[in-house]
Amino acid sequence: MTPQNDKALLRRLLAQNVEFVVIGGVCGILHGAELVTFDLDICCRFSRENLRRIETAVKDLNPHHRLTANKLPLELTDELCDRLKNIYLTTDLGILDCLGEVSGLGDYEQVLRRSITQQMSYGKLQILSLDALIVAKEAAGREKDLYATRLLRAIKPQN
Amino acid sequence: MIDEATLAQMNGQYVMPPDASPAWRAACEYGFDMSLVEESLKRTPEERLDAHQRVLDMLFELKEMGGHDAAK
Repeated sequence: MTPQNDKALLRRLLAQNVEFVVIGGVCGILHGAELVTFDLDICCRFSRENLRRIETAVKDLNPHHRLTANKLPLELTDELCDRLKNIYLTTDLGILDCLGEVSGLGDYEQVLRRSITQQMSYGKLQILSLDALIVAKEAAGREKDLYATRLLRAIKPQN
Repeated sequence: MIDEATLAQMNGQYVMPPDASPAWRAACEYGFDMSLVEESLKRTPEERLDAHQRVLDMLFELKEMGGHDAAK
């Protein structure tokens, strides 16, 4: 089990000017949901330039494609960048899942439009709005997502 | 003299806020500890992420300890 350090991963992504929106459980936590999650999910622009920024952000963290049978190292080429739709990574700072699309919302541009800016001490994060996160969780439809949705609906103001 | 209601709260009974939304009530009835959610909502987003990090660190330590114990 690799320790998960979301803050350190986020700082690295910000430092490299990666275009991304925080989604998933960490987004729910930022909104105030009492959840525990073991990965950092982001939706990002799948341009060559942006994927290279991600690679730079984690290059000294032993990044591997965590879902490949042989845990292939992250070694991007232009050709691979053009073919990838998602990148599921394990790193020395934990799991970083980079998605090109989010269920119920669409691609990065659509996700970005439904995000809000969250000021942190180490920079500005784009995170899914609470409404959009609920839509995404419901669209994902897994038991754990529906479980989280109950809590997210509760913390939504003026239900 | 402590009344029964206060005693129940001392013993862990959650008091639903009078303005609780239907979704809040539903989450409570589903089993979420809404007192923890109330505490979380008092924190800043950064404090929430830090609190979550402490939970992850603790779980990792427990996992590591379990692994060492299993190796003995």
